[in-house]
Amino acid sequence: MSTATAPSPQAPRSGADASPPRSGAGVRRSGARRATSLFAHGEPLVWLTAGSLVLALAMIAGLLALVVAQGAASFWPQPVVRVELDGGRVLMGEVTASEDYRPEPSVLDALSPEARVRAREALDTSAGSARRRMLRIGNYELTNEHFAWFSDFQQVPGSESLPEWALVIERRTWGRFYGLPKAWRVDGKVETTDPAEIHERLERERELAEERHERILVLERDEIGELNALQERARLAVRKAELEHGARSPQRAAAEAELALVIASSEARFGELQQQIRELRDVNRSRELVLVTADGIEQALEIGNIVRAYPANRIGSVEALGVYLSRWGEFLADEPRESNSEGGVLPAIFGTVVMTLLMSIAVVPFGVLAALYLREYARSGPVISIVRIAVNNLAGVPSIVFGVFGLGFFCYIVGAGIDDLLFAERLPNPTFGKGGLLWSSLTLALLTLPVVIVATEEALAAVPGSMREGSYACGATKWQTIQRIVLPRAMPGIMTGMILAIARGAGEVAPLMLVGAVKLAPELPIDGNFPFLHPERSFMHLGFHIYDLGFQSQNSEAAKPMVYTTTLLLIGLIVALNLAAIFVRARLRRRFLAGAI
Amino acid sequence: MQPAKTPRPRRVRTTSRSVRAAERVARTLISVGGIGTIAAVVLILVFLVSVVQPLASATSLEKPSLLPGSPKGEQPLRVGTDEYGLIGWALRSNGQLEYRDLASGAELERVDLTRGGIPPAASSAWAGGEFALAYPDGSLCLGRADFATSFLDHDKAPESLRALAVGEHAPHGRGRAQRIAAEQWRVQEPSTGQRPIVQLPVGADDPIAVVEATRTTKGFRVAWLTQSGRLSVGVLEERENPMTAELEVEISTFAAPAPTGATPPQRLVLTGLGDSLLACWEDGRALRYDLRRLDDIEISEEVDLLPEPSARISALELLIGRGTLVVGGTDGSLTCWFRIRPPLSSTRDGTRLMPVHALVASGPAITSLAASERSRILVSGTQDGELRVHYVPTNEERASVRPFESAAGPVMALALAPKEDAVLAYGRDSVARLALDVGHPDGSARALFTPLWYEDYSGPEHVWQSSSGSDDFEPKLGLVPLVFGTLKATLFSLLFGVPIALLAAIFTSEFLSPAWRTPIKSAIEMMASLPSVVLGFLAALIFAPFVQNWLPSVLALFFCLPLCLLAGAYLWQFLPARTAIRASGMPRLLAVAACLPFAAVMALSTGPLVERICFGGDATGWLNGSVGSGFPGWFWMLLPLSSALAIFAAAHFGGTWLRRRSASWSRRRCAGFDLLRFVALGLGGAALAALFAALLHAGGLDPRGSVVDTYVQRNALVVGFVMGFTVIPIIYTLAEDALSSVPQALRLASLGAGATPWQTAMRIVVPTAGSGLFSAIMVGLGRAVGETMIVLMATGNTPVMEWNVFNGFRTLSANIAVELPEAARDSTHYRTLFLAALTLFAITFVVNTLAEVVRQRFRKRSYQL
Repeated sequence: MSTATAPSPQAPRSGADASPPRSGAGVRRSGARRATSLFAHGEPLVWLTAGSLVLALAMIAGLLALVVAQGAASFWPQPVVRVELDGGRVLMGEVTASEDYRPEPSVLDALSPEARVRAREALDTSAGSARRRMLRIGNYELTNEHFAWFSDFQQVPGSESLPEWALVIERRTWGRFYGLPKAWRVDGKVETTDPAEIHERLERERELAEERHERILVLERDEIGELNALQERARLAVRKAELEHGARSPQRAAAEAELALVIASSEARFGELQQQIRELRDVNRSRELVLVTADGIEQALEIGNIVRAYPANRIGSVEALGVYLSRWGEFLADEPRESNSEGGVLPAIFGTVVMTLLMSIAVVPFGVLAALYLREYARSGPVISIVRIAVNNLAGVPSIVFGVFGLGFFCYIVGAGIDDLLFAERLPNPTFGKGGLLWSSLTLALLTLPVVIVATEEALAAVPGSMREGSYACGATKWQTIQRIVLPRAMPGIMTGMILAIARGAGEVAPLMLVGAVKLAPELPIDGNFPFLHPERSFMHLGFHIYDLGFQSQNSEAAKPMVYTTTLLLIGLIVALNLAAIFVRARLRRRFLAGAI
Repeated sequence: MQPAKTPRPRRVRTTSRSVRAAERVARTLISVGGIGTIAAVVLILVFLVSVVQPLASATSLEKPSLLPGSPKGEQPLRVGTDEYGLIGWALRSNGQLEYRDLASGAELERVDLTRGGIPPAASSAWAGGEFALAYPDGSLCLGRADFATSFLDHDKAPESLRALAVGEHAPHGRGRAQRIAAEQWRVQEPSTGQRPIVQLPVGADDPIAVVEATRTTKGFRVAWLTQSGRLSVGVLEERENPMTAELEVEISTFAAPAPTGATPPQRLVLTGLGDSLLACWEDGRALRYDLRRLDDIEISEEVDLLPEPSARISALELLIGRGTLVVGGTDGSLTCWFRIRPPLSSTRDGTRLMPVHALVASGPAITSLAASERSRILVSGTQDGELRVHYVPTNEERASVRPFESAAGPVMALALAPKEDAVLAYGRDSVARLALDVGHPDGSARALFTPLWYEDYSGPEHVWQSSSGSDDFEPKLGLVPLVFGTLKATLFSLLFGVPIALLAAIFTSEFLSPAWRTPIKSAIEMMASLPSVVLGFLAALIFAPFVQNWLPSVLALFFCLPLCLLAGAYLWQFLPARTAIRASGMPRLLAVAACLPFAAVMALSTGPLVERICFGGDATGWLNGSVGSGFPGWFWMLLPLSSALAIFAAAHFGGTWLRRRSASWSRRRCAGFDLLRFVALGLGGAALAALFAALLHAGGLDPRGSVVDTYVQRNALVVGFVMGFTVIPIIYTLAEDALSSVPQALRLASLGAGATPWQTAMRIVVPTAGSGLFSAIMVGLGRAVGETMIVLMATGNTPVMEWNVFNGFRTLSANIAVELPEAARDSTHYRTLFLAALTLFAITFVVNTLAEVVRQRFRKRSYQL
């Protein structure tokens, strides 16, 4: 072949000179007879190629390490630092960041004279750079900020301390609170002022308060939600009767009577529930923790608003581990609060899982059918190879294009059509005519279809022809051969394709932004109300959660731990799926090797 | 194995019916399912095309329906219709406001706007049916030709209306009723709004000759000219009297310099929110007054709206927002004027009124104009009875028709229905109603892909700005900045990713031991499955601030890393041959890896140093152009290029000679010489770079303003790096596959002929796998083009067109993600976004197909080898 003669003439020539004995000793002793010059080895260029590989590996390793380190560490409780600043301000909170910077002269001018002298000296010794730290100071209702930066030269010397009883309090609203316990009040009466006792009472009462809070949630969401659903259904029945039979039809009158009945019966129950909720709330409100902030302001926090409280500087590593695990527990099993920047991601996990499951249910059968058709039934020819190339290339089409298709076709055409036919009574509010779980799943199914088709085809092609022929020779029909010989053999390959498709689908966000992922879904796509699975509802998604927290959050600094942990969770999920695929592929290979012998 | 000899009677075996049925069912199911699935894929393309296709459709004007009833042959002051095009109105110069049923032609109502029988002396009317009438005694009537909408339900609707189908309409009361739902009718009736009469301060001996008014945020602004040529501007502020709840109007008057000319001007035009006043003469001369400071009104400039000396102004109209003035002349010219801000302007407000769009150059005289209330559609009528629909920003005539049977009659007045679905044309003896379908004039090929001169811009530009807070906003749907952004993202990510991926693939397939190949390849493939939202988040919140804080060091790393690797290699060459061979596996790789932290430390320390020496200690300041000169920038930008040039020249002109000559040298001598040569070439490259930089600098060129410019935190550099995470694994995998599939025989033959592994790799393997490598790059390109989340999060998403590495951009994909959820279904914006999606689809599909074809040819060839 032409390429075989491509090397430039001097290479073979120098090689020909060199061909005689090439023992190691010879090389060392008689350098004069060596023919291949060191320059021909291109060592520096080899190093460049090796450097590229190492760089690529370092990129991936560094990124994973960053995510794992940040994600795993962000829930660990930090000590609470108290510092007094020049000018009288006192800060207390957790250190969240620390960096060196070059202060502007104006920063120094704002200091008091003696502090300025000290700061100048400090800056002179450190070549103009100073350390500054960011404290999470919380207490938003008092300070109007969650974080505060301070430089080392700003603090009063020796004022930095770790107050023993400083409590870190995570709340349902208003973010964190940092303060020293002052008193424990029940119904406005001070019961104790001893910090240890306050903490003990707090721990005990908080669990009871938590139970009451859960109970309130159950009452609000399940019981009242059910009543609301009943009323809504009756109202829709009226609207439907009107649309189908006219405004003055007996059907509509009957439906209206039914609605009145439902409203009447639910109103009584409604009041009852409200009363129960009010009572529970009152109990939660009556127990108060009084704290003193770093600036000496007293603040009473009601127990019902406290999620977690711990004396950060007193706890040992075992208790710290407890706090850490409890935060992970909340993260995995609870709902978000504080506009997603605190709390858990359970709805997002749930949404991701349900969406991915629906997607696999849609994509696997069709992908396998298409692959079977292409590989086993279609007569191979130019048309089929064009189709094959097209399907292959579909995997390279940007995901956002599928999102555009999903929105335009599924939501606006198919969904609007379904609405007109089946849910006319709810119009103009769309039911299926907007983004939702079903449309997201189908869109991602289209997106991952090529992955499944290609993987399945490869698996089918890898089944040796001899086995098929053997089966035919035994008198089996084509379908029997496929069903009993080909498919079982190809199953691991199909599984690999499916897992890869799931991994791709789970990490895809761009199309979901168009077809149904939302910042906060009020209702899960599966609940206790008929018909239990609500494929038209919009849903939360881990990937979208990351986007939303990192970019739409007002308090993005406070949301950072959540972003990191969510990222860790998502990457963990996807890496696990990929490893599973690799494992399955390896097993498949082994089986083939065994089968081929 | 002996076959059985005894002939046994063969059992007749037939395939059972159930098996045959299963076979048939399976075949059908698989075929239908398979073909259906593939069809679904085709459906995507078909659907995208079907949504985009209407963008290309033309504006259509349907055959006119002529209404009976003579409009008396005189030109109305202004005409209009209601929102649904059912009722038309005409304001006549005799002070009569007539409402007319557009289906029957019957007059529905007539409002007498004279003052005790005295018709208005001057009038002004503008979009939305609002008018101002000034009477000789100086009283001013502000009003609006409007409609009252009411709804009837089944009980209230009379029998005649119940017979209507949904959508049909019939006369009802003083107006017209339309059935809009099964149980609902909408009634439109004329309802003229009139405000309290305002007395303008005009002397009894000096009646008003011309008046002009416009609505402002608080009330009205009025300008009037008396017969003696006195020009005044009044501000009408309305407030509700808290005691009587009546509307009180407060007028404050300001005098303007008298217009200079032989005769007083015939027209006044207030533009914008009344911040500029034009006094126009018939022959096209116009004075522009600056009204921003009412106590100091000044003439800003004089313009000639009609360059043709004999021509007269025959129609004037303001487009939506009152920023653009359309001037129609008796010579048939139709020109749009708006104020622009030229760099050197002598006027007080710094703007000049300029002719921007010449819609028609010449022809029959323009007799009437009507502007749309919702877009920049303009309808014009001519002396010989032709009616044309123009779209102003693209300077296109979208449709034209002759509505009247008597072809010679002029179009005397025009009205465009508020929903742009009908045009009303008043001829000499009849009124024509034409159904209009504007289509998507703002989404035509010219609007999308050519630079357009938008209002307030100083020249034609490519602009993407799809929405804004105000109603009279001009949508600017120039796709070119987005295409540019996509190209920029692709280019920078490939610039970063391709060298790394290809070199890494070469090392993996040619120099790495097979045992390590699989795990390393899997690890890099794992990189491809990282969700891009994670990469985007890290890019925006971690890398972007990091790069901003450490910019000099990050840039220094681009130089330090190759330098460290090369230095490491030259030192490695000093190892004795036996050690070097023994350590050529993992130990060498570890040594390479050790260069990385070394380079990082070096970059960390040299970055600020270089910043201090070359860029005045402030790299971002240098980029802004506030410190330093262009020379150091050129030097560092040219350094890699000139070094490469020096190395290439040395290798080309002395490489072979050196290799032959050095065959007898000891290894140590070779290594020493090589190190010296490396240093010499490095210095030579630097000197070359300095020379070029000095030349460029002396030529007055500054790198700032081109590839480097003002620093923005979320920029192409960060995106290029992070996109590397998605591009590198794809290119790497495919390239490695291509390199590995080069037949081993070729490699062995080359090695056997005495070539070194490096020579084998570069001269045998890489050329053989060339097409495979090309297709790998193509697939990587396809991936980079469509990447959404990273660019969405890590660029500022500003649709700017500059190559600056340190600035953001907006790509097609990110634009879709941001805007599609907000785009109204089937609007031009929506279809344009679909066009963007279709473009992405087409680009990636073509690129991938090309790659696939190349790869298959490569595969075939490597089998033959």
